[in-house]
Amino acid sequence: MKIPGEVKISDNGFVFNSNSGDSFALNPFGLELIRKLKEGKDFDELKPEILEKYDVDDLTFEKDFYEFYALLKHHQLIIQENQLDFK
Amino acid sequence: MAKQKITLAVTGLNNTDNPGPGVPFIRGIKESEVFDARIIGLVYENLEPGIYMEGLCDRIFQIPYPSGGSDELIERVEYIHQQEKLDVLVPNFDAELFSFMKNEQRLLNKGIHTFLPTLKQFQEREKDKLPEYGKKYGVKVPGSINLGSFNQIKEIEENFDYPVMIKGQFYDAYVAANEEQVKQAFQKLAAKWGLPVIAQEFVKGTEVNVVALGDGKGNTIAAVPMRKQYITDKGKAWGGITLADDKMMELTRSLIQKTKWKGGMELELIKNNAGEYYLIEINPRLPAWVYLAVGAGQNIPEALVKLALGLDVKPMTEYKIGKMFVRYSYDMIVDLEKFAAISINREI
Repeated sequence: MKIPGEVKISDNGFVFNSNSGDSFALNPFGLELIRKLKEGKDFDELKPEILEKYDVDDLTFEKDFYEFYALLKHHQLIIQENQLDFK
Repeated sequence: MAKQKITLAVTGLNNTDNPGPGVPFIRGIKESEVFDARIIGLVYENLEPGIYMEGLCDRIFQIPYPSGGSDELIERVEYIHQQEKLDVLVPNFDAELFSFMKNEQRLLNKGIHTFLPTLKQFQEREKDKLPEYGKKYGVKVPGSINLGSFNQIKEIEENFDYPVMIKGQFYDAYVAANEEQVKQAFQKLAAKWGLPVIAQEFVKGTEVNVVALGDGKGNTIAAVPMRKQYITDKGKAWGGITLADDKMMELTRSLIQKTKWKGGMELELIKNNAGEYYLIEINPRLPAWVYLAVGAGQNIPEALVKLALGLDVKPMTEYKIGKMFVRYSYDMIVDLEKFAAISINREI
């Protein structure tokens, strides 16, 4: 999976897809997550970082992550090259 | 370098909720680094807002509707030319283009330059010929049926699923979810724009548009893609944003190259969820949102005037992505004298 180059992420959480013209507002945690995804980190790499930094349990994070991931995919902010790879 | 002085006549000063491209075109010319233009506004109605906008036009003339006969319209332009010595004339309405295209040589003989599509280019892109156009130039278009009579409405169900788009041959479109709604739309459109009325397959997706300029030799001089962000109940863009879309640009360049399009144009496309583009309409003139292209770095009005005058124009390939326009309405306070002058004298 990757975040296409045409998706621009601002420091204030404003996300703009210059291909579709859509724009979105992320909260600080959403911004942190999307930035890590843009760096190329997958779920397994992200999880220990988040669990250590925030007061959240394993299952809750997993559920929230995939919900967020599905939203990014729905809005074409992320491309999942292999349809079976959810990492 | 001193700017070249020209006299430019422009129509389409109707900056209403269904705006013409005249005012944004003039704004582009006023920002030109090449031309110092004296602007002659040509209007059909005495309440077109461009008449009353301070600093927009140097003179205003009322002209007769082309439906009253091309000769009357051209004779009026020749009368204006006697007074103002027009260098370039830029018509901005679909309905008047035919008259100006037919009289292109007559105007040029008087010294009035235009830069318009050829009659063939104009006619083959008409809405009722879109399927043939798509086939000829290798562009996906929605299926359509030309409805010449009420009896043909039943053919829609045999060919497409509802909803369908019902379109007038020049303007206006309605979404119809069933036969009853098709009948209502048919009657309205046939009464207003005549026959045929076009029933077009509904393509689900996002509407995207391109404003472009072709030099008549197959080169794309300018092209800027845009997505409408705010649409009025008349389907007009009240806000929009420039896009980075290579596929759309490629489609535009290919179409201009194949058709050797001459003049300004607007492509209306639908991008479906699979990322495919369907051409739903080609407007044979610049759109009312052309000033977005100027703001994004491509002064298309200036380039069009240069082409009309036979000057060399290099293709513009760069533009700023993510530039937006937001329209607004504004009440001007106007003295009665100006309204009286245009109403009685037909000129100001």
